[in-house]
Amino acid sequence: MSSSDNGTNPTLRLQGVGKWFGSLQVLDGIDIDVKTQEILTVLGPSGCGKTTLLRIVNGLIFCERGKVSFKGEVVDGPRPEMAMVFQNFGLFPWKRLDQNIGYALRIQGKAQSEIDRLVSHYTELVGLGGFEANYPAQLSGGMQQRAGLARALAAQPDVLLMDEPFGALDALTRETLQEELLRINEAEPKAMIFITHSIDEALLLGDRVLVMTPRPGRIRFQFETGFGRGRDLEEIRGGKRFQAMRHYLWEAMRNPEVEPEPIPELASE
Amino acid sequence: MATDAPAAAGVTTDEKALWERIKEPAIYVRLISLAVVIGGWELMGQTGNIDPVTFSYPSAISVAFWDLIASGKMVSAAYESSQILVAGLLIAIPLGIVLGILMGRFQTFEYAVDTYVFALYATPVVALAFPIAMVLGVDFVGKTTIVVFFAIMPIIVNVYHGVRNVDLSLLEVTRSFCSTESQRWRDLIFPSVVPYLVAGLGLACGRALVGMVVAEFLMSISGLGALSQDYIADLELDKGLAPVVLLMIVGIALTKVVNICETKFSSWRVRQES
Repeated sequence: MSSSDNGTNPTLRLQGVGKWFGSLQVLDGIDIDVKTQEILTVLGPSGCGKTTLLRIVNGLIFCERGKVSFKGEVVDGPRPEMAMVFQNFGLFPWKRLDQNIGYALRIQGKAQSEIDRLVSHYTELVGLGGFEANYPAQLSGGMQQRAGLARALAAQPDVLLMDEPFGALDALTRETLQEELLRINEAEPKAMIFITHSIDEALLLGDRVLVMTPRPGRIRFQFETGFGRGRDLEEIRGGKRFQAMRHYLWEAMRNPEVEPEPIPELASE
Repeated sequence: MATDAPAAAGVTTDEKALWERIKEPAIYVRLISLAVVIGGWELMGQTGNIDPVTFSYPSAISVAFWDLIASGKMVSAAYESSQILVAGLLIAIPLGIVLGILMGRFQTFEYAVDTYVFALYATPVVALAFPIAMVLGVDFVGKTTIVVFFAIMPIIVNVYHGVRNVDLSLLEVTRSFCSTESQRWRDLIFPSVVPYLVAGLGLACGRALVGMVVAEFLMSISGLGALSQDYIADLELDKGLAPVVLLMIVGIALTKVVNICETKFSSWRVRQES
């Protein structure tokens, strides 16, 4: 939890990460640095090992080659400084919303008064005030994922790992939650790895977009979006820069073999 | 599920549930069915179509039922029976839970005992009555053992499946948040097992009753089983069937108790309102 970094050291560093499932190689030579408070979105087709990559970063599974380090320490298992938001929410159906949100805090053995304080803070922050006593099945998918986000935030991690968190939601809910996520992240900035297969989502949320190739998953290219903090998503969507990057990513995703023509908007940065 | 709009936080009240039930046709169909069958049976008896030596009919059984209660015979028989039933369940339930959990969670233990468990599960337990009587005697211990054998199997098997079917994605959630093994049992494994356990308990209670009567018939005769058998042997069918009615009531009551437990432990399950 200490913030001993001086801004130059990455919070999270992946060096030459390679992963095999049996004889099938799923990840190859992944080098990634995530800076403090940086939002990195990872974009790639299904089966490119995005989720596997995130599970390795979380320490849930291990890589056969390379290593992951958090503030200079090798990650050899899950640690409380990182918290995951799961694609299918991962809420306990028999726990009320407040119990779900306070789950990580109970695991960490925090005092009950501290748990109550943090739970009520993060419940309000994600807009779930008044629903504390409900069970997950009584809530919509969007609200369940708000709870999933609140649970991860309440653990007060340095790094948020987002595994296609809005992938199971409808388009409208998804857009609302994208805006909420940015608002929350401005209030309490954290480093974030955000896995998605939506081009728009990758561009709107990311400070940097990283594109992967499938089988085995490799880094194809990456670039800074340059939208900065306090971004207005409506404004960005209508802008030329967004359209150009979106087109670029479309071309790249459609033709995995051919690198698209570089675009002037990006080159000028 | 699709929209982000606040879901209704209200829960259906008991009052509303009662109204729903009264409006349902199911209850009327059941009442009419009961009236026709019981009424028809009674009519056969009243018109002399049932020989009281080989069979009986509802009003005669009811009279015999109250006679046996009044004379205290039914109560003392029920007391005798309930001792082996309760003792059997008190052993079978905790033992079954522990064995099921150990089998579900520890592979070595599973491999060591699964042959016996599944062999016994497939064996008609009645066939074990005589060997058990030989080894453990025909009294309380032997009879209780029969009840245990009858009741324990569905508990072991259900708890085992409950532990096995723990949601793997939730298991990963507990790992991701650095849960210890004991916290994992509290947050995930025990709550996942509860619905399986309750279903197992329902089966176990029914089977324990069967085991109780089997034990009372085949070993030293006692309790409700003996009461029924004695009167049937004396060709007093109305009195012979009265203990059977009591067993039926006890069976229904036990099922109800299990159902109530089920609803209590699954308040988090939202009934689909379609």
